[in-house]
Formats: sequence, structure tokens, C-alpha cells
Amino acid sequence: MIELTNLTKTYGAFRAVDRLNLRVERGEIFGFIGPNGAGKTTTIKMMGGILAPTAGSVAVCGIDMQADPENAKRRIGFIPDRPYLYEKLTGTEFLKFTADVYGVPEERFSSKAEAVLTQFALADWGQELIESYSHGMKQRLIMAAAILHDPEVLIVDEPMVGLDPLAIIMVKKLFRELAGRGISIFMSTHTLTVAEDICDRIGVIARGRLIASGTTADLQREANVSTSDLEAVFLNLTAQGAVAP
Amino acid sequence: MRALVRDIGILLRPRLAPRGLPRRLRGGASRLLVLGTAGALFWSALFAAAWRVLAYFQGIEEIGDILALKLLSMILIICFALLLFSSILTSLSKLYLSRDLLLVHSLPVPRHRIFLARWLDSTFDSGWMVLLFTLPVFLAYGLVFAAGPAYYGSVIFSLTALALTASGLSALAVMVGVILVPAGRMRSIVIVLGVLLFVALYLAVRLARPEQLVNPEVFESVLAYVGSLQAPVSPLLPSTWAYDSIRAALMGAPGASLFNAALAASAVTVLVCLLAIAAERLYFKGFSRTQVASARIFRGRGISNRLLGALPGPARAFAVKEIKSFLRDQSQWSQLFLIAALVVIYVYNFDALPLERSPIQTVYLQNLFSFLNMALALFVLTAVTARFAYPAVSLEREAFWLVKTSPLSLRTFLRIKFVIYYLPLLVLTETLIVATNLLLQVTPFMMALSTLTVFFLVPGIVSLGVGLGAAYPDFKAENPAQTVTSFGGLIFMIASAALIGLVLLLQAGPVYRIFMAGLHGRLLSPGLWAWTLAAFSAAFALSLLAILLPLRYGEKRLSELHI
Repeated sequence: MIELTNLTKTYGAFRAVDRLNLRVERGEIFGFIGPNGAGKTTTIKMMGGILAPTAGSVAVCGIDMQADPENAKRRIGFIPDRPYLYEKLTGTEFLKFTADVYGVPEERFSSKAEAVLTQFALADWGQELIESYSHGMKQRLIMAAAILHDPEVLIVDEPMVGLDPLAIIMVKKLFRELAGRGISIFMSTHTLTVAEDICDRIGVIARGRLIASGTTADLQREANVSTSDLEAVFLNLTAQGAVAP
Repeated sequence: MRALVRDIGILLRPRLAPRGLPRRLRGGASRLLVLGTAGALFWSALFAAAWRVLAYFQGIEEIGDILALKLLSMILIICFALLLFSSILTSLSKLYLSRDLLLVHSLPVPRHRIFLARWLDSTFDSGWMVLLFTLPVFLAYGLVFAAGPAYYGSVIFSLTALALTASGLSALAVMVGVILVPAGRMRSIVIVLGVLLFVALYLAVRLARPEQLVNPEVFESVLAYVGSLQAPVSPLLPSTWAYDSIRAALMGAPGASLFNAALAASAVTVLVCLLAIAAERLYFKGFSRTQVASARIFRGRGISNRLLGALPGPARAFAVKEIKSFLRDQSQWSQLFLIAALVVIYVYNFDALPLERSPIQTVYLQNLFSFLNMALALFVLTAVTARFAYPAVSLEREAFWLVKTSPLSLRTFLRIKFVIYYLPLLVLTETLIVATNLLLQVTPFMMALSTLTVFFLVPGIVSLGVGLGAAYPDFKAENPAQTVTSFGGLIFMIASAALIGLVLLLQAGPVYRIFMAGLHGRLLSPGLWAWTLAAFSAAFALSLLAILLPLRYGEKRLSELHI
């Protein structure tokens, strides 16, 4: 469903992402962890078609992002880490905007919008301007909009930032449900417990390179850590990654 | 006192750093060179015009000095009014609406110090342009009157005091106003009031028919007018203190100049103390009120959805978003008043033209005006495009990621933006042209020529606006409408003026010949036909290129942009 091949991004002499190769299968939740500045958001931006890679490619559902970006993007639900939205629209109007852009049929919009607003506890706020929403509410609205057009792939940058505990539980449950329906989820996060709880596989990135990838058990083996705590695994792997050439 | 100065210094430090300069003033050497050259040219033109007028006044016996000093007094009153208006808008932004205020108010600094630091920042922002561009006029006064160094010192001191007084009075008014009306809405009210005031003043001046002053039949009233020139202006106006100080320095009376300068300085000192006291009591209260989101003014639903229902999904989505965002953003829709005022003034000017008294043949003059009117209307269009279409892409602000991740190409996105602004701007420009041509009673040929030329140039100018706005976007601008004062905005203005100039230059020759042939009942020669065809084809090709190239350039630059 998602395939990154030798994905590279350089800014002048600085190599933010370095020959990244990975594949996320249908219905799989892939967690992407790494220290600050490791290249997570740059990778996610290239996957979402926001940033052009210097080399390599991104394929979504077999469609090359560089060659056919519109078609590839139509299959993606994108959730950025910062909830910047059109502040002068109401929540419902923003969903209608998304529905029109992604081609959700008119007759299905009302029921779908109502369902996602209820699901994300925004039903009472649908007619209010987004500028009056809190950070967490904006984040929830972006998530609601991202799944409105039934994407085949969900790309999420730091999904839990700004969410309250109830919303975090709901989002974790939702991601599992979506994966159960065959949607692939690529998620970058700093919240290791979230990655541990819901991801089928986890990739660790440091200094632009994928230094480890696999299930939590695989990572423990690779990091030579006996404890099941992902934090220790992360610290060990990224420390190795930091000294690696 | 030392703590006060230290705190204000610390609060202003981010602003004083090179990166703290207004975004539009930052950039590489080439940008600074272009902006600097344009500014220097404008500055020099102002100086030349002022010097010419003052030198002419000097040549008029007896009333020359009176006229020059009256002009000085009027300049200072206008300066004061401009400073007042501009500092109301700037202090609203700096004191209540800027994004960094949340951080600033969380700092352990007394409120009046935060206020004073922000106020100084605001004073600089609202005053520098007015002061910079009045300096050539004062320089011309100094040279024409052969004034000494004391005059220049007096000018700098008086103008600084005037800017501080205007900004202080505005800040005081804003502080009280924000307690009564939320800051966001107050800005719209100020803009609307300002525009209405300007239109009222303009119409009052126009209705007085100042052009009659050059008519010998009303000469007696001119003498009466000269007598009234010497009438004193109110001594309570801060501009009068500046005027008295500068005039005294100009006439070589340093004592009187110093006295008036001291008067202005004491007023500033008292004002700063008053501001500090008021700020401690009112500033935070008003800022706190501003944090509460204001209620929506327009609650009508689905109107734009229904109107644009026939459009394809993505186009409709962006069109609806654009219209709703515009109507709900008070700083945007309130500008419509400005356009309405512009239309009224524009059309009224043509209505008031005294063509019948001209010694030149009226039919010729009417049609000459009609041709020049095309340029004028297209320059008005350039100004309106600069205000609305140029910032269209920057108005996406940080939500631009939504465009980048949507299954919509940047080309389609820019075309949607183009169409949204093209249609209303075409209606506006054609309305101006047709209405003024009807008032001028031009020939059908000139009417057809004007409407067709405008029809083909409007898309070119709008495309230049949208395309160059996309090529030089500023998604982080506090007020995207101001992005037109940036490097890209300047390029747009120059490109648009060049396009208008080139097209009209191509048309001027053949149009003159065709018009004169019609006037004298002559047939058009084959050579003239060929010239006309070539000139109009070139003009048409230019218009087409102006539609295509800027949008492509904008698309290319936007696709290379990292967000």
C-alpha cells in the first residue's frame, strides 16, 4: 500500500532523509519513531506530496507520488502535527470543503459528516467557526476530515498532540478499527506507549536513516535489550544511531 | 526608571534584531536594491515637485510666502491626520491582535511596561513611512528659503514629537475603545469611518469647485481667499506646535522655534505619563476581552453553496471557502467600502469635468479623455488587484498544507483563485469604463475600443496578481493584505504598469489616425489597416502572454516551496 524506495531529501549539504526504504502493507499500522530532527516530519511530508524528494520515490497503492500526485493523494488521509485550518469556516463547512475536494458524493456527505462529527465529539460544534475551537478540537476536526473520504492510506504526524485522554483512547480504537477494514496507517509519534499499544511494526529513524524496523520483539533483539519497555529500546537504538557514521 | 528602560529594551530586542524587521523589508541584496531604487525615485520626484511649487510661490510678489507657509501648515495637518489614522490601525494590531502577545503577556513584566514597549514599536511602524516621504518636502522648504542647520534640527524634532503625540492619542483612544468594542471589530469600524470621512472630505472639496479659482471671472473671490489664508489655525492642534516651531526656524527666529518645540515635548511627556497610568488600568482588561472569539456577523447558510452548485467539486470547494472566508473576515470585507468610495469618486470626477469651457474641440477632447481613461481605469484595477488578488495565495496562511495534500494540482488551484477574482474585477473595471464613457459621450468606436481593451487586459492583470502572489507568498504574514508592499508586490506593480503602458502605446498611433479619419470623413488607407492589424495583434498577444506566463511562473515557484 505504501512503498518508500531510496527516499532521500537534502537541504544543501544536510541530508534530512537518507535512502529510506520501507513498505507498509494493507491493514498494517506502522509506527515511525525517532529523536527530534531525525527526519520523521520530512519523510511524512514527502509521503503526503507536500515536499518533493531529492531522490527516490513514494508509491501509494502502487501510484507514484511524483508521476501522478493527484491520483495518489486522492487515496490518502493526511493528518499533520499542527492543526492549521481555514479559521473562518465552521466545522461542518470545512468537512464539506474536504468532501468536495476529494469528491465525496453529495448524497453521502450529510450522513458521513454527522457520523464523523459525532465520533470525534464535535457534533455540538459543527456550526461554530473553527477560530473558536481549542487546539485539541482542531486536531479532532482534521482527523474527522481525513477519514471522511474513506482513504486507503492514513498518514499521521504526531496524532496525540493536544488530545485529551478520552480522545487518545478513542483515536487508538479508531486506528485499530480502520486497520481492521484494510486501511494502512503510517504514524510518526513521540508517544512510545501509543506506538507500543497499536502499531504492528515500528521503524526507528535517526539522522535521516532507518536504523531498525520490525515488531517490538524484533527491536528488543536488535537493541540487545531484555526489558519489554520500548523506551529503553528507543534510547539504546538511537544512541547507536547517533554514533553510527 | 532604570528597570523601566531595561524592561522596555528587552521587550523591543526581538524587534531590533535583523530578523525582527517587517517581513516585507527582509530579503537579499537584489530585493533591497529594487525596493531602494523605487523608494529613491519616488523620494526624488516628491522633492522635485515640492521644490518646483515652492520656487514658483517665491516668484509671486506679496502672497508667495503666505502661500508657502499655508501649504506648510496644510502639510502638517495632513501629516498629523495620516499619523493618527495609521497609528490607530497599527496600535490595534500591536497592542491587541499580534500573535506574539500571548507570550509577551505571560512574561513577568508590569503591564504598563509591556504597553510602552509595544506602543513605541507601533509608533515606529505607523510613523516611519509618513515621515520619510514628507522629508523631501521639508528639504525643499529649507533649500528654497535658504534656512540654516537649526531649521533641519527643528524639522526632525517637531516631526518626531508629532508622530509620538499622534500615536499616543491613538493608543489612548484605542485602549478605551477596545473596552467598549472587541479589537477585531474596532479595526473594521475605524477603516469604514476613515473611508467615509475621506469620501465626505473629497466630495466637499470637489463641490467647492476649486478649478473655478483659475477663472478670471471669480477673481474677487480669490483675493478674499488669499485674505483667509492668513487666518490662524487652532493653537490646540499638535500640528500647530510643529508648524510654529518649523516656521520660526525657517524664518530665522530660533527663540520662538525652541519655545514651540518645548511645548510639543512637554505634551509628549504628559501623554506618555497618562498612557502609562491608563495602561496599568485598562490595557490588560482590553487584551483579555480580545481573547474571546467574536460572534459571527453573517449567519446566512448555503447561499454561496447554491450559487456555485454547478461548478465541479474541487472548484466549488475552494470558491465557497474563499467567499465565506472573505465575508467573515472583517479586515477583508470592510475594504469593499473602499472600492465603493473609489467608484463614486472616479465617476464623479468625470461628471465634474468642465469640458464645455475648454478651448480645444470638445469631441476630440472627449475621446482623448476616453483613451486616457482606459489607462486610469486599468491603474485603478492594478491597485484593487494588488489589494485583493495579489494576497489571495498568502491568505491560505499556514493552512496551505491542505492544498498541497489535496488531490488538486497547483495549476487548478491557481486557476480557481484566478477565476474567483477575475469575474468581480472585470465587472468593476468595465463598469468604470462604460459609466465614464457614457458621461464623456464618446463615439461608438471609442466605446468599443475601451470595453474590448479592458476585457482583454483585466485577465492579464489579475493573472499577474495571482501568479506573482503565488511566486512570492508569505503564509506567515500577520496581515496577508500587506504582502503587496513586499518585493513580489513591487514586481507586480511594475509588471502591470508596463503591460498597460505597452498595450496602450501600441494602440495609440492607429487609434489616433482612425479617429481623425472618422472626424474628417476620410477613408482608411491600406497602410493604416496593416499598421492597425499589426498593432492590435501585438496587443492581443501581449494580453494572452500576461494571462498564461504569470500563472505558470507562480505554479513553478509554489511547487518548489518548502512548507
